[in-house]
Amino acid sequence: MKVAWLPTSLREGLRCQFSVRPVAFNSNVRRRGLDASTKQFSTSTRLQAGIAAPEIKFKNESNGEDEEEKLFFARLVPESPSYFTAQPAFTDDLLALQDLVRKYSTLPVVKPGEAPRVAWRSLVEYRNMVGESVKASKYHKIVEVLRRLNQIHPSLMPRDVTAALNEYKRDVNPFQNVTKIAPLDEHGRAAGHGRRKTSSATAWVVEGTGEVLVNGKTLAEAFGRIHDRESAIWALKATDRIDKYNVWARVGGGGTTGQAEAMTLAVGRALLSHEPALKPALRRAGCMTRDPRRVERKKPGHVKARKMPAWVKR
Amino acid sequence: MANTNCLRCLARPAFPSPNILNATTRAGMGIQRRAASKLAKPSNTQGRKNEKVKGQKTLRIKKKAPVKTGKPPAPGERKAMRKRIVLSNTNALEVEGLRELDSKMLGEWEESVVRELQAGEDDLVMQGALGLLEGEGGEAKGEAKVVGKVVALMGSTVDSLRAVEAFKTTQGWGLFRRPGLLIREESVALSKKLILSEEGGVLRLVIDGERGTGKSLLLLHAMATAFVRGWVVVNIPEAQEVTNAMNDYAPLPGTTPTLYSQPSYTATWLSQINKANLALLSEMELTLTHNLPIPLQSNISLSRLCELGARDPDVAWPVFQAFWAELMAEGRPPVLLSLDGLSNVMRESAYRAPDVSLVHAHDLAIVNHFVGYLSGEKELVNGGAVLAATNRSHAPRSKSLDLMLTQLLEAQVGEEEITEKDPFEKGYDSRVEWALGVKEAEASVEADVEGVETASSPSSVKEVKKEENVEAAVEKVQTVPGPVEVLKLKGLSKVEARGLMEYWAKSGVLRKTVNEQEVAEKWALAGKGVVAEIERGALRMRI
Repeated sequence: MKVAWLPTSLREGLRCQFSVRPVAFNSNVRRRGLDASTKQFSTSTRLQAGIAAPEIKFKNESNGEDEEEKLFFARLVPESPSYFTAQPAFTDDLLALQDLVRKYSTLPVVKPGEAPRVAWRSLVEYRNMVGESVKASKYHKIVEVLRRLNQIHPSLMPRDVTAALNEYKRDVNPFQNVTKIAPLDEHGRAAGHGRRKTSSATAWVVEGTGEVLVNGKTLAEAFGRIHDRESAIWALKATDRIDKYNVWARVGGGGTTGQAEAMTLAVGRALLSHEPALKPALRRAGCMTRDPRRVERKKPGHVKARKMPAWVKR
Repeated sequence: MANTNCLRCLARPAFPSPNILNATTRAGMGIQRRAASKLAKPSNTQGRKNEKVKGQKTLRIKKKAPVKTGKPPAPGERKAMRKRIVLSNTNALEVEGLRELDSKMLGEWEESVVRELQAGEDDLVMQGALGLLEGEGGEAKGEAKVVGKVVALMGSTVDSLRAVEAFKTTQGWGLFRRPGLLIREESVALSKKLILSEEGGVLRLVIDGERGTGKSLLLLHAMATAFVRGWVVVNIPEAQEVTNAMNDYAPLPGTTPTLYSQPSYTATWLSQINKANLALLSEMELTLTHNLPIPLQSNISLSRLCELGARDPDVAWPVFQAFWAELMAEGRPPVLLSLDGLSNVMRESAYRAPDVSLVHAHDLAIVNHFVGYLSGEKELVNGGAVLAATNRSHAPRSKSLDLMLTQLLEAQVGEEEITEKDPFEKGYDSRVEWALGVKEAEASVEADVEGVETASSPSSVKEVKKEENVEAAVEKVQTVPGPVEVLKLKGLSKVEARGLMEYWAKSGVLRKTVNEQEVAEKWALAGKGVVAEIERGALRMRI
């Protein structure tokens, strides 16, 4: 839900509900400014501090501390000095991060390419988090500071920096998601499995000279159409590796086209075990994606899946 | 009936056949009759066209009959078109530096054969490893130049091959400027065997292989070799034409079991043989006396004899027998006897005996003649070869033939286990075994040897006896001609495929750069280099 669109009065409350970040004072600046006012408005949440009336003090509750609470502000004091900027939360965040940079500027950093890859929150997510309409260029400033902080050597990373960074990290880090690659077996074979329509194929790919056996038959015997033969070894052809591998495959089910295209996937996946770097090329060649289409079912009242009986006049 | 007009060209008969006359007159009558009926009852169906028919619920729109334009082809023209063989394409580029399959090239192979033999002898006598090495080196050098290259056929060879119908319509001769042949390792080996068989020791070979592996072309290569070497070539171009009951036939008197001759087929066959071997046959004169139903001069050439047989179908078979007897006489050149489509002759033919039973193909005189030589029962006296090629497209399955070929091949390779007959299979034909030279005699020899082995015991006298027995058995094997050789053709090697594709590129048919990748791709897509599939992928299926 986009909190930033709502009127200011509603924003705060909703943000408390939806925000990932716990509502707490996270900046020294803000805390310093509020030191005095906490005594007056003892509730800690920003929400109450913003809109609620001051707490009522009863006589009998009073202790020795009560005597100290002589200080009274005639007007409400904002919790942070950046209240008077256009985007106070953003300003606070930026200042806090810049403080951190300043504080740890002496720590050693890694080379720019070697820092752990992190996916930062997107602009929209950030806006929802703080509940302000932050411009892209402004948020970019934050991201730049975050990058600088991320470059601190991982072994020396201070705890508060880690905490600050975690707040800006996306919930799921896509860079941590590494595909598992099936290893080759002791004979150097890689197995891959593929399906298409109702056919399924298993292909074992081994380094060789371009010989292909499908169900014990040569490619020409197994597939009469040249188009089918091409699609059976399309993964090898698209990557110019026909003469580098041998394929031994078992296919079953469906018709020739389905079997050939099931082999495309099977060979493609087996080839990945040999050369994982080929994945983008194979994806572009269409050897990675399973085609989910199947025969559409027949429906009652129809002649076939979609066909209706001819119109007859009475 | 034999066709009146030539099947290989578009020549029409000089006068229309009575059938055509009948057809036209009938058509004319039809028109008259239709006109008369129109006059008698004027049609009134125009107004009713769109009227509803009672009981009909769906909309029906009448389809118009397609308008016929142009004259339909004359009878026989379509077949002539279909059977036409084009051997040249003037649009194709001429390939420069093409060698010809001539006596010089065959001479080189002959030299290498002789050298191999000598090397083998040296090896036996003094284990001269040096000589062997030299021989191998020389041979490799000579052949490496040719294997994987396309060679052109000489003009005279092409004429002869055309006469024996060695070129088929399904082959891509019409794509190139002049007919050429790819030299494969198998074809060099076959040529060498043919050269060896000139000295005696007849080569009996069955060429087998998957569809499109070049069986017929290897046969053509053998024929071309034979023509260049000055052999007489007798070819049965399509075995199915002999057995599918499309020719007239008659029982031969005085034969048990009854053989059936095919007079008009024999007549055309004789004329083919004559045309193909004209240069040789016209040089040879009759040497024997024959008892023929026609008067015969004693000094005519064999070519003239063939002409006489070709002219009169009634005497064609006796004349062929006389011609064959002349060929088998002393001092004649070697003979190549070949047949394409072996499985057609290894079963019952479509002809019927007087008791309506099917005639076995081996009871047809022509097939019987061929099979007699293939089995080794009769021998080509002056040397030569008997070749047969199987066929995989539109060929009947002969279970016995398949079984025999696999068994023979396994025995040739020396495998431990040999495929056995399926005990539940009824379709086996014992005559096929005989035709391929697998006989009882051989089985008994094996039994002899085994018997000797079992009887042998560790005493010196018996050892000697055993050796003698084995020697005797070996001699027996040598005198009895064994089973035929089987050559199983497979796909081309990559070198050969590359040579072929380069030839295509030079001819301007293949418009691609021929490199390693391209060759590997086509080779793999063609199922390990099956020639016809490479051609299909590279030349025919261009998108």
